[in-house]
Amino acid sequence: MNKRLLIIDDDPDFVSGIKAILDSANYEVEVAYNPKDGFQALQSKHFDLLLLDIMMGRGAEGIMIARKLRKDAKLRELPVLIITGIREQIAFLFPGEPVHPRFVEIDELVEKPVEPKMLLEKVETLIQAAEAKKVKK
Amino acid sequence: MEDKPKILIIDDEEVVLDSCTQILKGSNYQVSVATDGTKGLEMVEASRPDLVFVDLKMPGISGLEVLDKIHDIDATIVTVVITGFATVSSAVDAMKKGAYDFLPKPFTPDEFRLITRRGIERRKLVMEAIALRREKELLREQFASIVSHELKAPLSAVQQNLFALDFELANTLNEEQKGKLERIKVRIDELLKLINSWLRVISVDVNKLKEGFTSISVTKPLNDALDNLATIAERKNIEIVKTVGEPLPSISGDCLSLSEVFANIIGNAIKYSPDGTKVQVKAEEKANSVVISIKDSGIGIAEEDLPHIFEGFYRGKSAQTTSGHGIGLAVSRQIVEAHDGSISVESEVGKGTTFVVSLPISKS
Repeated sequence: MNKRLLIIDDDPDFVSGIKAILDSANYEVEVAYNPKDGFQALQSKHFDLLLLDIMMGRGAEGIMIARKLRKDAKLRELPVLIITGIREQIAFLFPGEPVHPRFVEIDELVEKPVEPKMLLEKVETLIQAAEAKKVKK
Repeated sequence: MEDKPKILIIDDEEVVLDSCTQILKGSNYQVSVATDGTKGLEMVEASRPDLVFVDLKMPGISGLEVLDKIHDIDATIVTVVITGFATVSSAVDAMKKGAYDFLPKPFTPDEFRLITRRGIERRKLVMEAIALRREKELLREQFASIVSHELKAPLSAVQQNLFALDFELANTLNEEQKGKLERIKVRIDELLKLINSWLRVISVDVNKLKEGFTSISVTKPLNDALDNLATIAERKNIEIVKTVGEPLPSISGDCLSLSEVFANIIGNAIKYSPDGTKVQVKAEEKANSVVISIKDSGIGIAEEDLPHIFEGFYRGKSAQTTSGHGIGLAVSRQIVEAHDGSISVESEVGKGTTFVVSLPISKS
């Protein structure tokens, strides 16, 4: 069965650019254009990975979602790829160096825009890491 | 309506307190009094006055001590000392401790009113300056977020869709069409990088940086930078010759931002050097500092450009054929100066450039 992904991002134009790439790699992709719909989808359906924007609505609402995930015993195990436009708040980064904000157990942060090859690699790696963790348990 | 300015008078002579209160009666001030330093300080703590008169000669804690403590409680409170004998030296001592003015006893009502008015005006100016500084800080932060949102977000969306288009059409487009798409992607990438570097200059907060200082060895950020640049150096076949005068004494600093400095300077050295040449990186102890020098045999910097290269948004004539925005050196200077260090450059066109970063050794 194809892996199921959820994108939560309030910029439809940006979403179109990542969804197309994920679609053609045979992922089943759902999109929520605001944090509220996004969290509802997370609670009612199963996903293998969440692609999460940080700056939505009135501020860093993506962080709020990550916090809610951490508090939820089941959703805590969902791997999250954070895709964000904020760089200045992460301070200086060497290009290419992986960033794990540790909002949830398995996460990684990349900056917008994301190159197709990197996007697919990160998605694959995070899903595998989450599955490996499940097997261990 | 704005609160009435609060004035506190600390003096052991009741007659002085009474007459001062009397003189200011009917003016638009809230006046309170204290008969010794201890009581006075309690009142300063509780009511945060705008202006405090302090008698220098009092039983109990001395006037000068009271002054010190008031400034510890709130450095923006304006203080004026009352001197029994108009001795210049005690007034000078008080002014050195931060008193704004002095009132020699005996004084006329007009003298007292004048000094009070001046003191309150001073307080207003102090508060205004603080508010302005805060506003400026806020503007800077807001500007950063506006730039990041209003410019970066749409550009990122454009670029993401181009990525998708390129990905989907990989087998459909001919070479010429691919070339066009590539050109668009490269130019947008340059724009995004430009915005990022602007944001970097705006967001370097020297004070926040200083809060995170620890005792570190320069070797760590230097090696981090070199590791990161290894691929670029290899691609241009440039050998980086590193000499470190071990053991290097520690400095007080921030590892990540220092590695940014070294990555900027060494990155430049690689970028502006002809293929197959050497870049020399040297770190050594010199007169209470750790001195790092980066020497290349590159195109060099023209004499008329040298004074401007740390100013930001400036690129020398000779650099105009290579990519870059002249931001890296401005950020580097900010970071080095936050470390109480200095950065300097020597260069000769066609021969090469040497950057020298000097960071003070921690005192402990």
